[in-house]
This record gives sequence, C-alpha cells and structure tokens, in this order.
Amino acid sequence: METIFWILSAITVIGAILSITLRNLVHCVLSLILFFLGIAGHYFLLRADFLGAVQILIYIGAVAVLILFAIMLTRHVTGDEGPREVLGGKWWAGMGTAVIIAGLLWAIIRKDQLTQVMPPGAASMPDGKLVAELGRALVTDWVVPFEAMAVLLTAALIGAVVIALEEVIRKR
Amino acid sequence: MQHSDYLQHLAQQQWLIPLFPLVAAAIQSLLKRPARKLSATLTIGAMGLSCVFALRAFFATIGGPGGEHHEVERAIFDFTWFKFGNTSLDMGFILDPLTAGMAAMVAFVGFWIFVNATGYMAEDDNFTRFFCFMSLFAASMLGLVISNNLLTFFMCWELVGLCSYLLIGFWYFKPSAAAAMKKAFITTRIGDIGFFLGILMLYWKTGTLNLYTHDPFHPGALEQAGNLATLAGWWSLSAAGTIALLLFFGAMGKSAQFPLHVWLPDAMEGPTPVSALIHAATMVAAGVFMVGRMFPLFTAGAPPGGSTPVLNFVMWVGCITAVFSATIAVAQFDIKRVLAYSTCSQLGFMVMALGAGSLVAGQFHLLTHAFFKALLFLGSGCVIVGTHHEQDMRKMGGLKKYMPITFWCYLVGMLALSGVPPFAGFFSKDEVLLETFHRSKAAWGLATFAAFLTAFYMTRQMFMVFAGKWRGGGGHHGHGHHGGEPHEVPWNMWLPIAVLSVFAIGLGFFAHSYGRYLGAEGGEAAEGKALVMGSSIAVGALGILLGWVIYGRKTMVHATDKDPLAAMPAGLFTLLNRKWYIDELYDVTIIRFTAACGVFFRLFDKLVVDGVLHAIAWATWGISQVVRWVGDEFFINGGFDTGCESLRLGGRTLAKLQSGRVQNYFRVLSLGAAILLLIYFFT
Amino acid sequence: MSIPLSHYLMLSAFLFAIGLCGALSRKNAIIVLMGIEIMFNAGILNFIAFWHYKYFAALTAQMFAIFAISIAAAESAIGLALVIAVYRHYKSVDVDEMKSLKG
Repeated sequence: METIFWILSAITVIGAILSITLRNLVHCVLSLILFFLGIAGHYFLLRADFLGAVQILIYIGAVAVLILFAIMLTRHVTGDEGPREVLGGKWWAGMGTAVIIAGLLWAIIRKDQLTQVMPPGAASMPDGKLVAELGRALVTDWVVPFEAMAVLLTAALIGAVVIALEEVIRKR
Repeated sequence: MQHSDYLQHLAQQQWLIPLFPLVAAAIQSLLKRPARKLSATLTIGAMGLSCVFALRAFFATIGGPGGEHHEVERAIFDFTWFKFGNTSLDMGFILDPLTAGMAAMVAFVGFWIFVNATGYMAEDDNFTRFFCFMSLFAASMLGLVISNNLLTFFMCWELVGLCSYLLIGFWYFKPSAAAAMKKAFITTRIGDIGFFLGILMLYWKTGTLNLYTHDPFHPGALEQAGNLATLAGWWSLSAAGTIALLLFFGAMGKSAQFPLHVWLPDAMEGPTPVSALIHAATMVAAGVFMVGRMFPLFTAGAPPGGSTPVLNFVMWVGCITAVFSATIAVAQFDIKRVLAYSTCSQLGFMVMALGAGSLVAGQFHLLTHAFFKALLFLGSGCVIVGTHHEQDMRKMGGLKKYMPITFWCYLVGMLALSGVPPFAGFFSKDEVLLETFHRSKAAWGLATFAAFLTAFYMTRQMFMVFAGKWRGGGGHHGHGHHGGEPHEVPWNMWLPIAVLSVFAIGLGFFAHSYGRYLGAEGGEAAEGKALVMGSSIAVGALGILLGWVIYGRKTMVHATDKDPLAAMPAGLFTLLNRKWYIDELYDVTIIRFTAACGVFFRLFDKLVVDGVLHAIAWATWGISQVVRWVGDEFFINGGFDTGCESLRLGGRTLAKLQSGRVQNYFRVLSLGAAILLLIYFFT
Repeated sequence: MSIPLSHYLMLSAFLFAIGLCGALSRKNAIIVLMGIEIMFNAGILNFIAFWHYKYFAALTAQMFAIFAISIAAAESAIGLALVIAVYRHYKSVDVDEMKSLKG
C-alpha cells in the first residue's frame, strides 16, 4: 500500500510540475492528464471509488479535452514558445508566494500534529454500498445543492457558448 | 366573525397588496417595447387591485370598536422564512392603523400617478420599461409598509432605493440624469449604513427582528423598547436611543434631511411622474414612515410629556431642513426644482413633528402632503407637457388662459401647500406647528418662518407660471415640430390631478379623527392653540400677499427679465439660487478627501504591496536583487512625486491600483492567503 | 498500510503550491487555467483524505468533492470560453497583454 502511495504521489507531482513547466502546450495537457490520473489513483487508494471514476470521466474526459480544444482554437501559440516568453512579468513574486504558502502549509500540518492520525481499521471500511448511498443522499438530503448545481452548470454552459460566440454574432 | 379575527384574517392577506404590482412588473419585464397598451393596462390594473385591497384593510381598521378607549388594534401574521441551526429568520405582515393608512395612501396616490404617467410618457420609446420600474417601485414601497420585520423592511427599503435609482436615471443618455441617479443612490446609501448598523444593533440587543410578536415569551423588538431604554448604549445614550439614532440616519438619507438632502433636487432629472412618486408616495415617505414605525424606540425612556436627546436631535434636523430648503426654493427658476425644495422643506416639517414627539402630526402631514405634492408634481408635469417640455418658469407665463383645468387644480395644490385654512395642508401643518410649539419655541419660530417662505415661493411660482402673458415660444429654434402655443393636456393627465385636488381640499377635516385612529391621547392641547393657528394663518396670508406684491402686480414680460428678488443685498439671491453652495462644498471636500485617499493608497500600493512582493523576492533570490531594490527605491520616490502631483487629479489616482493585469490581482490574493495562514500558524 | 494523514495533506499542499506557481508565473492564459485546475484537485484531495481518515461514515466530504468537481468543470468551461474570446479580440492569449481594465 505504501509503495502504491509513493508511486502515485510521484506520478502526480511529476505530472503537475511538467504541466506547468513544459513549453509545448499539448505536452502540458498530456502531463496534466497524467496528473489527473494520479489523483484518480489516490482516490481509489482512499476507497473513494465513485470519486475516482468521476475524476477520470470529468477531468480527463471533459476538462482535458476542453483544454486541448482551446489550444487548437488558439492555434498559433501551439508551437514552442521562446525561452523568454514563457514566464509572465513578476514571475519571481508568484513563485515566492507559492513557496511561502507551501512552507506555511507544511508547518501548519506539522504543528497540528496531523502526522499522528493513522487510517481507520479494516472494520470501518465501507461495504461497497457507498455509491448507492451517495445516489440516495443526492436526491434527498442534498437535493437543493444538487439542483442549484444543475442550474449553475446550465448557466455555465449557456454562458460559455455565448462568450465564445459573441464575436461571430457581432459580425453578422 | 369577531372584529379582531377579521383583522387577523386581513393581516394574513396583506401580502396581496404588493403582490399585484410586483407581478405586473415581472410580466412587463418580458414585454416587448411596442406593447404599450398592454403595459399600461397591466400597471394600472394591478395598482387598482392593490388599491382595493389596501382600502379594504384601511376601512377594516377604521371600523373597529375604537370608541372611548384608544387602544390601537394591531393584527400581525408571522411565519418562518428559513431556518439554520437554532436561529430562524422570520417574515411577517402587520395590519395596524399606521400601516393601513399609509398603504391606502401609497396605493391610491400611486394609482393616479400611474394614470397620469400614461399621458406623460405617451411619446417615450421605452414605455414598457418605465412602467415595469414604476410597478416595482410601488410594489417595494407597499412591501415596506406592510412588513412586520426589519429584515423584509430593509430589503424593501433597498428595493425602493434601487427603483429610484433606475427611474431617476430613466433617461440615462442625459449625462445630468446619469449623474443624478448615482448621486441619489450613493447619498441614500450613506444614510443606509446607519440604518443597517441600527438593525444589527437592534438584533444584537433584542435577539429578534420582528417588530411585534404579541407573544410575551418572545417579545418583538418594539415591544422590548421600554427594556432597551434602561440598557446603556453608546455616547451616554440608552440602547434604545442609540438604535433610534442609527435608524434615523437611514431616514435622513431616504427622506432627504439636511445634510443628506442633496440628492432630492437632482432627482428632478427623471420623468415627472417619477418625481411625483418619489416625492409623494414612495421614496421620501419611506424615511418618515420608518421613523413612525419605529417610534416606540424613539420615545422609549422619555418622561411623560418629555423628550429624549434623540428626539431633540430629530426635531432640530427637521427644523433646519424645513427652513433651509424653503430659503433655497425661493430663488429657483425650474418649476420642478421649486417643488423639489418644497418637498425637502415639508419633509423637514414631518420629521420635526416626529421629533417633537407627535407621531400623529408627523404621519398626518405625510399623508396630506402626499396628496397635494403628488397633485403639484403631476400638475407641473401637465404644464411641462402643455408647454412642449419647457421647465424654466421664466419662459412660461399666462398659462391660465391655455390650461384652465391644470390651473385650478394647481391652485388647490398651491393653497394646500401654503397652508391656507380650508385646505388639507393647513390642518396638518398647524398640528405640526402646535406640537413643535409645545416642545420648543425657537423651533416653532423657525418653522413658522419656513411656512411663510412656503406661501411666498408658491405664490411666486403661481404668478410666474400662470399669470401674465405667454413668454415662451421665442426660444424654440431647436425643435420645430414642438413649439407653438401651450395647450391643455388630455384627460388621462388632468383627471388624476382633479381627483387629487378633491383630497387636497377635503383631507384636512379628518385631522382629529386621524389622531384618534392612530390612538393618540385624546386630551386637546389647547394651550397656545389660538396663537399657533393665528400666526400660521397670518404668515400664510403674509407670504401670499408679499408674493403678490413682488410678482403679481407687475408680472414678468420677457423671459430674460431679472427676478425682482435679485435686487436683494449682497448676492443673497445668488447664494440661494446656488443652493447655499452646498453641492460645491461637497465637491471641494470630496475632491480633497478622494485626493488624500488617492495619495495614501498609492503610497500603500508602492510601499506595502510592492514592498512585500519585493521582500519575497529577497527571500527567494537573496542579495543579488539588492540592485533591483535600489532601482525600485528610486521608483518609489518617483511614485511619491507623482502621488503629490495627482492631488489635483483627485480620484484618478485611486484607479492606479487597478493595474488590469489578472495575475497582479491573483498575486495579491495569494499574498492575502499567505498572511491568513501566517496568522493561523501563530495563534 | 501505515501512511499517516499528514502525508496526503503535505502532498496536497505541495500540489497546491505547484498549481499556484503555474497560475502566477506563466503568461499563457491556458496554462494559468491549468494551474488553477491543479489547485482545485489538490483541494479536493484534502477532502477525500480527511474523509478517509476521520469521517468515514459521513457522506459530507464526498458530496463536497462532487460539487467542487462540478464547479471546477463549470469554471474551466467559462474560463476557456473567455480565453477563446480574448484570443479572437487580441490575437493573443498572453495574460500580460490583457490589461484593458487598467484604471
């Protein structure tokens, strides 16, 4: 188990790092897919099977493909960027902030003694009915957020179409 | 059915009153622009229906077994809106004489304003949008009147503000209208901060936002007023006094009390029916009504027949506003602007009456004023339409011949506003003055002076507009298809003012019964009554007489003639005409303030925000960045110089914070997150 | 299996920082969005880790994760549509050049 954790962690971290450092945008997306896969593996390892499936379906199936489409639609930036153009202005400040936040999170995790928390025993493992429970909860206790999410996704869908179409309409 | 049960039944149906205009607004928001007939029918029909319901509630509250004991009957209906944890938010409706009278007035006056508006807006392209906003305006005001809960009250209060914003700027393509709408919104928002703080403090001290609950175990906020008066608040006031003071700030903004009155005259930029609605039934009435609604808080802790510091403050604010705006109204030339300042002044009277401790006088003046001010504004709308969109009184004159119906109705409104005996304004103003007389002789004297000025400037306006010869027409080069002689307005414009003028004549006779209706003490305060009434009649007559002497004997002949008053010494007329330079004062101070803020924020940006970013750079990049830091040091100094220079550029400097770069915002955001983490780590 | 909770949290903190770094320092808008996606995923991983280690019986964490994923999907759809619209307008997806909101 521990070995799997380390392997998965290595995959995720390498995928994440590559996806924000590579020059070629398509390569970036490919390593992002690697990262998503690693995260999905972590979900399976943590016994959140449904979420792992959702992760693969939504992130790899939808989001990554969407990003690929966006890259293709903004085509002439697909090729290699020159070395000086990759980073934005004040990039060092951004990196510094990221490092500081990582360090602080690290310190907080240590300080709050979360290192002591061990996984629960096998007795309390779920019995495979988790997905059914989730489904039932979604349409009973959680039905209002669920519906709100449906509205949000519809609005986002329409909004994305409108934003992307705007220029075309104006030309007519 | 028992009478109280009947009232309870009606209280449950109070929500129907604002519902009709609200639905009408919702439907109209979907209508296409050419659907004028449908739009007008919907608006007026909905308003008529809610008027019927409001009147039914009103007559039900009258018909109670009042008789000898002046117990106010109050029916309420509360229900839970939603719950979270152990706290729940309630909504509720109330039906008591205060609400019923107010709702009936708003619905009734609003109805006739809408009828008039169909004529006034007949040629406007955005007819449906206009009536959509108007319906929403009326709905939110009615919702405010019937709510028994400060939360819904506040929501409707803000909706009223929003609608006035939308309607004042209805012709948003005019820069002045766009400026006026912003001014109205922002100025009232300043007061609303106080209102909101008051609500928060009330919730904090009483644990409820319901006004009345009729439940001894969970008393409503107003039922705890006596209790609050014993708790300590801020600035050596009692808790009730502090809350009342904060709430009153909201009323100052909404009801245009000095020094937050500046928005009201500019609100003239909207179409005239909007002005009528704002000045009579909705926006400005909301503030006075709120003070009336929360009156137990204002009077809490006052000795019998005595006053509290807050009440005194309220009275003096009202008194100053009354005199101050009356002086300004004397020197205005825009027909609507004169009326606007007179509204300010009359609102001052109402607030003063409330401050003098008399709910009845304040509310009654609010009601009568609503009728005759709506009449005057609609009348001025008729004049504006009749003279082909001319608003300058110097270019009018002689309209009596051309617009007889408008003239007679306007005359009624003018006499009512001036406080001439048989008209409504006389009785209500007299009551106000009497109550003030009992509280403070100085305030009474000032208010009487304001009443004199009122009679004077209204006479001035009458003579300038209706007497003499038609002075317009000459200057109409720009719009050829307009121009020409003034004409009488169509029936849908004069009918409303005719109806309203009936009320402006007759309503005054109900002064006494209204007092009993609101549950006032029956004792006739005879002391000083003769003096007050006599002086009130005298100053009214004097004002009209003086107006006749100055403007009536020799009417203006040319539009360019100088105002006879301009001969007043030492630029007094200019001072009044420029409204005591209050706007200019605010401009100067606000520019200075914004400039100071601008410099501060620029320095903050350069020194702190950038400084922190640079410090991070240090941490990551070490000493090699020293040179860069020096360079930025230079840049900081440069920024400082620019900052000083931009003192005169005012708020533009503030905008420099907005670099427009999304990553800049994001960086600052994550920096904030880092700081929060740091705080979490060390605590 | 003796991985303490803190391993997951530290992993997720690390991923979060990587995503933040990408979002803050790259100038291609699409990569910025990808960085934000990475941050989202790091956050969701926290939910699931806590769920696994502490509140196994409750469904709240799973629900939150599902809703967060939906929101992330909506966000990326809108974000990429914006990128395309911006590209049409500026012929570039460089975030440094998108500064017409400058005050």
